[in-house]
Amino acid sequence: MADKVISAVLVDDHVAIAAGVGSWFSLAEPPIVLLNAGDRLPDLWTGPGARADVVIFDLELVPRQPNFGELRRLVKNRRRVVVYSQHADQETALRCVDLGALAYLTKREGEEHLVPAVRAAAEGRSYTAPTLSGVLVTDERPERPSLTPREREVLRAWFVSSSKDLVARKLDISAKTVETHIERVRAKYAHVGRAAPTKSDLVSHALDDGLITLDELTAQRDV
Amino acid sequence: MSDTAQAWSTTQVRIRMMFRLRVSLLAVATTVLFAVGLRHMLIYRDAYSSVPTQFVAWGALAAVLGAEAVLTIRRLTWRRLRGVAIGVVLAASATSYLTLTEGVATYADWAYGTANWIGIAILFDRPLQAQLAFLAGHCALALTDLLLLAGADQASILRFMTGSVGVLGYPLCVAAVVVPLRAVASSAARSHREVERARTDEQVAAESALRRRQRITELADSTMPLLAGLADRTLDPSDQRVRQRCAIEAGRLRRLMAEHDTVADPLLHELRHCADIAERRGVRVELDARGHWPDLSVPVRRSLTDAPLAALATADSWARVTVVGDGGLVSVNVVADCGGIELSQPADPDARLETRSTKDMTWVEVWWRTK
Repeated sequence: MADKVISAVLVDDHVAIAAGVGSWFSLAEPPIVLLNAGDRLPDLWTGPGARADVVIFDLELVPRQPNFGELRRLVKNRRRVVVYSQHADQETALRCVDLGALAYLTKREGEEHLVPAVRAAAEGRSYTAPTLSGVLVTDERPERPSLTPREREVLRAWFVSSSKDLVARKLDISAKTVETHIERVRAKYAHVGRAAPTKSDLVSHALDDGLITLDELTAQRDV
Repeated sequence: MSDTAQAWSTTQVRIRMMFRLRVSLLAVATTVLFAVGLRHMLIYRDAYSSVPTQFVAWGALAAVLGAEAVLTIRRLTWRRLRGVAIGVVLAASATSYLTLTEGVATYADWAYGTANWIGIAILFDRPLQAQLAFLAGHCALALTDLLLLAGADQASILRFMTGSVGVLGYPLCVAAVVVPLRAVASSAARSHREVERARTDEQVAAESALRRRQRITELADSTMPLLAGLADRTLDPSDQRVRQRCAIEAGRLRRLMAEHDTVADPLLHELRHCADIAERRGVRVELDARGHWPDLSVPVRRSLTDAPLAALATADSWARVTVVGDGGLVSVNVVADCGGIELSQPADPDARLETRSTKDMTWVEVWWRTK
């Protein structure tokens, strides 16, 4: 994976955003290839856009109408999605996390977060920017996962400082441990967010997690 | 005072005055009913062809007056029953006249004078025309009795006319006085409102003056010495530390002005003002708030914003301001490239200040326990 050039397809109708993201990616080390789909959602599903490692998705191509449906379809089709939104409200961010977005960034969060978010997503890992960290630590929904006091401390410190060095210094832990805590929180959210209302959803999750294989499933049916 | 409160106050004054007027009329009518009506009826009981009929007539007037008393106490008006009450009064008079052996306006005629007062009491809040109509109607009723039934002669007509002067004149005077008194009630209410308004203005002015004095006192320890130092040139504006102090005091002044604004969240409002001071110096400021916190008093808000204000005022190019309300704590944080600044612990004993620094970044956190 380290040698592979990462490609990302951007859905955003603002040309300045596309130009800015393109510039950040070309200067990143190693560079990231950006495909600009503009506001054309079909470009995510056909041609080079369909083969891109990561989808950078502007949630509101139509003002005040966040396109959660498209996000759900992308995640369901195993696309790795980084939501890049101009909104920072609690509800929208949590819904994107629940739907399976690997990162939720606000447009105030620039290259210092977008580049690592795209790299993490390309590897199938989540990335939690400070804004999302603040959203998670103040999540009061009954269905939220249970977080340990340490995890809450780390989320809170990352939100307010936006510097993992400062978090590490304050909590007297290493920067790596800070990241581990944050990743663990996201894993808990991923677990809670994957609703399994039907038996086939449960089977699908079990297949995703490698608990059973397709061969085992077929063998079960044959018995 | 709001328009609604003013209207309420005006109405209250008017209601009080009208109530007192009604009670006065009730007292006059009751006195007349007993002191004139009952007394004369008992003294001249031999002059009636039927004493029980006289008692029935008196009793009917007493019942109407009793009802008026009950309504007065309960602050109610006659409404549709007013006509019925006037009818009963006139019927009682007519009943009394029918059993007078010597006709109306004699010593034995207690009803002519008494009924007028009771009628005026019932019609106290009606226009003057209604009271005049009642008095005229009652007079016509008595005159009819005199002319048709009592066999009027010149002497009895003259007696009726001279008797009517007092019997109609006094209630008429009272009715004529009640109308301007009602106007006085309205103007008294207006005056009362003016007095209230003047009193409110005085209080507002006194509070503003107090607030101004408080502000000056609050600035006395920090801003005044700075201004004095700049004025007498003991402080040099080219000195970096002096410029930092100026920036911090500017932030404090701005916060002081914002403290009295009526806003949904004063803490965020004041922080925005502090951030604005930094932005005017070209500092890029991010402000984000998550979670909930209760209404905080001015001293608590000052304790929470003092250190962040200083960090913002001295930030070089970038600052991140965040507020988190969660788990019984509210914390205000500033991460900025403000270098080393001297900060003192917050004045509030429940508030704590913590600072962390890397080589190019300083993190100032003040938290306060909400419960």
